[in-house]
Amino acid sequence: MARNNSLEKLEKGEIPERYQRNIGTIGVVGQQKLLRGKVVIVGAGGLGGNIIELLARQGVGFIRVIDGDSFAVHNLNRQLLATEQNIGVNKAIAAVERIAAINSDIITEAIPQMLTKENAKELLADVDVVVDALDNIRDRLLLSQITRELGLPFVHGAIAGFTGQVTTLLPGDVGLERIYKKDSSGEKGIETQLGNPATTPALAAAIQCQEVVKLLTGIGEVLQNRLLYFDTEFNLFEVLTLK
Amino acid sequence: MYIEVRLYATLRRYYPSWIAGVSSVEVQPDSRVSDLLNTMKIDTAEVHIIMVNGISSTLDSALQEGDRVGLFPAVGGG
Repeated sequence: MARNNSLEKLEKGEIPERYQRNIGTIGVVGQQKLLRGKVVIVGAGGLGGNIIELLARQGVGFIRVIDGDSFAVHNLNRQLLATEQNIGVNKAIAAVERIAAINSDIITEAIPQMLTKENAKELLADVDVVVDALDNIRDRLLLSQITRELGLPFVHGAIAGFTGQVTTLLPGDVGLERIYKKDSSGEKGIETQLGNPATTPALAAAIQCQEVVKLLTGIGEVLQNRLLYFDTEFNLFEVLTLK
Repeated sequence: MYIEVRLYATLRRYYPSWIAGVSSVEVQPDSRVSDLLNTMKIDTAEVHIIMVNGISSTLDSALQEGDRVGLFPAVGGG
């Protein structure tokens, strides 16, 4: 398998050419950790498409994608995996095809279903990191709660207009109810007014991917108990302390 | 006393004349965040995150002269 070949090379201190430009940042050991890492991405839309693209190129060895939705024309403005040719195609299926085209080292699983209370524990099993690429508050609160019960690291991201936010929850941390009011279950956020333009999900997704890389490699500091909030209409990037 | 308030995203529409959503607001001494929102006539249902001097706080948090308060709506898209 391609992944095993890459791992064998890295174990000998050789650098597979496709990862050459990663090594200065994460090192040979870091790349090995990424290739052995297992990530589940919940949602393959605006955030998820960018996250899938970046983690595939970075070389995360196992990526499971959960999304029961199919591409629609109004997704074309921002959803990296959406094309004029695949309207109507399931997003998780399109995601694993894209990953295969980018990096044959990666083992993929497409789950063409929505995450529910009933299937969540099964679909989130056996991974190192859960990534939130959902599009509503209710499902995020559910995902946060189940991830907490499973004791898994969780990288949250959300966007609207020029605004986005990212935080990382580690096992034992308080869930997303620190960010969203408890009575907001079922609500949408300000994206109903501001929409979801092309650039904002890419920005939030890139920060989420850096959180995943830091979690898997142990490099640097993750945004634990902190919320990175950006509002680029006025060039604001805030790191807020969550209590 | 005066509080420096920064409004984020959709909350800026309450005070469209503020430059970049920032201004100083006068409240009574011993006010709490809820009093500030009442003074500003901002619907508390719209405010999901409250920061006082960069630390997450609640409607009941007490304010002091010169505090910096950030008010954030819910961001839920993807």
